[in-house]
Amino acid sequence: MSRALALVTSRGGRAASLALLLLVLVSFPGWGGDYWTRILTGVTMWAALALSWNVIGGYGGYISFGHVAFFGIGAYTTALLMKPGTGWNFFATLPVAGIVAAAVAVIVGWPVLKLRGAYFAIATWALAEAVAQIANGVGFTGGSSGMSLPINASTSFFYYAMLVACVLSFGVCYVLLERSRFGYRLKAVRDHEVAAGSFGINTTAVKLQAFALSAVIPGVLGGIFAYWITFINPASVLDGSLTDQMVVMALVGGLGRISGAAVGAAVLYLINQQFLASFGDTTSYIAVVGALVALIVLFRPDGLVSLFARGNQTRLVWQLLGRAIPRARPSAAQRPGKTKEHA
Amino acid sequence: MSLLIQTILNGLLVGGLFVTLSIGFSLSFGVLDVVDFAVGEWVMLGAFAGVASTTWLRIDPIAFLPVVFVFFAVVGWLVAPLIYRVRNSRNARPALMALAFTFGLATLARGGMLTAVGFDPRTVKIGVVQGTVTLGAVEIPTLRLAGFAFAAVATGLFMLFLYRTRTGLAVRAVAQNKEIAGLMGVDVKRTSNFVYSLYAGLTSMAGVLIGGIYSITAQDGPTYTLMAFFVVVLAGLGSVGGVLVAGLVLGVLESLVTVYVSADFTLAIVFGILFLVLVISPRGILRRGTA
Amino acid sequence: MSVLEVRDLRRSFGGIEAVAGVSFALEEAEILGVIGPNGSGKSTVFNLLTGVVAPSSGDIRLRGKSIAGRKPYRIARAGIGRTFQIPALFTNMTVQGNLYAAIVEGDWKHAPERAAQVLELMNLTPVRDELASSLSGGQQRLLEFGRVLMRDPDVILLDEVAAGVHPTLRATILGAVSELQSQGKSFVVIEHDMELVRAICQRVLVMDAGQVVAEGSFEQIASDKGVVEAYLGVPVE
Repeated sequence: MSRALALVTSRGGRAASLALLLLVLVSFPGWGGDYWTRILTGVTMWAALALSWNVIGGYGGYISFGHVAFFGIGAYTTALLMKPGTGWNFFATLPVAGIVAAAVAVIVGWPVLKLRGAYFAIATWALAEAVAQIANGVGFTGGSSGMSLPINASTSFFYYAMLVACVLSFGVCYVLLERSRFGYRLKAVRDHEVAAGSFGINTTAVKLQAFALSAVIPGVLGGIFAYWITFINPASVLDGSLTDQMVVMALVGGLGRISGAAVGAAVLYLINQQFLASFGDTTSYIAVVGALVALIVLFRPDGLVSLFARGNQTRLVWQLLGRAIPRARPSAAQRPGKTKEHA
Repeated sequence: MSLLIQTILNGLLVGGLFVTLSIGFSLSFGVLDVVDFAVGEWVMLGAFAGVASTTWLRIDPIAFLPVVFVFFAVVGWLVAPLIYRVRNSRNARPALMALAFTFGLATLARGGMLTAVGFDPRTVKIGVVQGTVTLGAVEIPTLRLAGFAFAAVATGLFMLFLYRTRTGLAVRAVAQNKEIAGLMGVDVKRTSNFVYSLYAGLTSMAGVLIGGIYSITAQDGPTYTLMAFFVVVLAGLGSVGGVLVAGLVLGVLESLVTVYVSADFTLAIVFGILFLVLVISPRGILRRGTA
Repeated sequence: MSVLEVRDLRRSFGGIEAVAGVSFALEEAEILGVIGPNGSGKSTVFNLLTGVVAPSSGDIRLRGKSIAGRKPYRIARAGIGRTFQIPALFTNMTVQGNLYAAIVEGDWKHAPERAAQVLELMNLTPVRDELASSLSGGQQRLLEFGRVLMRDPDVILLDEVAAGVHPTLRATILGAVSELQSQGKSFVVIEHDMELVRAICQRVLVMDAGQVVAEGSFEQIASDKGVVEAYLGVPVE
């Protein structure tokens, strides 16, 4: 039994379970049915959105209250480029959506990332409001009545588009943040900016890069989302509650953990859908999200996932297995403690 | 020409209320070292308290102001220790977590009110002061005048308290330097709670009048958070004196944009200017704050 | 030519001159001690040298090239390393992660070997995978010092590097300093511990109220009546 445990927690075991998860995800539309495929499309989208928030929030140490701006910018970019008359190919619009979002992030981030976090938080929030007002007010976005996109009714098309975007996002972020120099730079700047500078790290540049990375992802996802729902307006792609949701998903999953975003997104998206189904609106969900953020910060600042992490995880497993099984190989059980996830 | 004067005057009068809602915000930042993202929610909740006073209790909101103050001061008194706890926790990034905490509270307030009253805009019907006062070519709505008078009195009393009383001295000492204030025998935690409670009450009262001048919806809180933040950035984060000027500037700016551009772009323009100030002079136009 | 040359360095904060005209030169393979009462401007000098604070006036030259007012990361890349009086660790990273982060702008290819050496030298190998925030005070100072070793700078500024460190580990730090000195590295050392200053510093600056009030070998300084009065007259922590 403890061997099985060791297998799951070992490096090869983790790779195997990841491969299994991917296999399930890739084959899902074949056996999961339309409804659940759509739900899973939403989960993958939110997982990547929460991850993108986590890049600047958890790894960069700067809280963004306006991340929806990049999502909306991406959505409008794709919508504008696919409009009759421009008529771009859908896939060609996505890199543009990502680049536009990142460019806005760099312009806005440049002055405020030099200042303390509160400036950044409010500036990003104000950016989102400003973008929403502009989208509402100017002509070419259709104002509050929004824009329509060409219709593509294939459920699995969008499922795979989101899945690819999501897997790519997680892959790129994992490599950049956990397996490369960039991750060390960013975490050093987050933990002690002055000290990071004293080791030659260009702190402003690193923060800007992180913010740009964190904006590219919602930019691209916004583009896919726009094509998916075929009609966008400021209320659907620039609503502040989308940011709230990213914040709470990242917090539930734990700041500065790659996998946390996925767990947080899955749990909260399902709760969100449940609220929609039971109450027909999501205003009470907003209240729940707010309460959840406050409670997590108060009692579980490492994220709800930390309840099951590392030492707790092993303890939990042992408790579940009962004390009947002798602890034959404690070293195997301790292994997860050796590779700290937010190293 | 008279339109311009009218517009500027209207702006100055509303600016008074912006001063009131920003001054407590600025001070609570100084004392608690937390940017309270919920500042706009106190305005929103205050406005709905005003709505409740007319629809349920049939009391004029002006007469109801003391009740609003006491009620929200008590709520603030209950919330403050939680903020203090997060801010002073051994967590890795207490300042950001405290910000996230107030964000959570703000979201809770917004979601709760949306669930309770929906998205429809409401107006606080203030019966005592209606109509306009004519001054030469310009007409001033009496309500705005009353709003300004309230702001002047409230801010004046607040400043008197801050600069002429022993408790006010303690508050300023904590805002300057918590450690030294603590060494000098000031109870930092008590002072923080007190300031937050005072600020919550004051801001909610301003909300009643703002809800009378403009209409308000349950999702308007963040807009007023941006207003307060704009004022405080212009003034320099932590500078109480600068708020007096910056609040009036915002009032005039908002009024000018509404009349000469469009109310739809107020936030976008306010953000644009905020951004420019941050680029040019992050410590505020008076260079008195901390970046 | 001196490795580091400081001329008439000044910096004021809100009307108070924290550093009021400091000049000195640091030679190759020299260890220069800086002593003085708390608040005499020692740490501000370090912050000026490393670009954390920009000087109001004056010049700083590293091997003849002016670095005054440059960005901290540029100064670090030019070859100045430092430790902080209050350990400035990357608290949410592991001990090993801290060492990697220190060399991220340097010889990254050899980071694992260097980190292994430094861990061994600083006796930190057993806690390699612990979070930096979980270390004891003494271990934090060792890691603080170890990080500077990762980047091989020409000039190393040490701010009370051995305060609160166990005597044997203190000897390890001092041994490492001597070893680096023999390789041609230069040091500026802020210290309150006079035994340490006597043991390693060739020359000592005495600071008071933002100025250098005396300069010379430890023996000269110790016999200078003015210094003894100015410095030892006020309580030393």
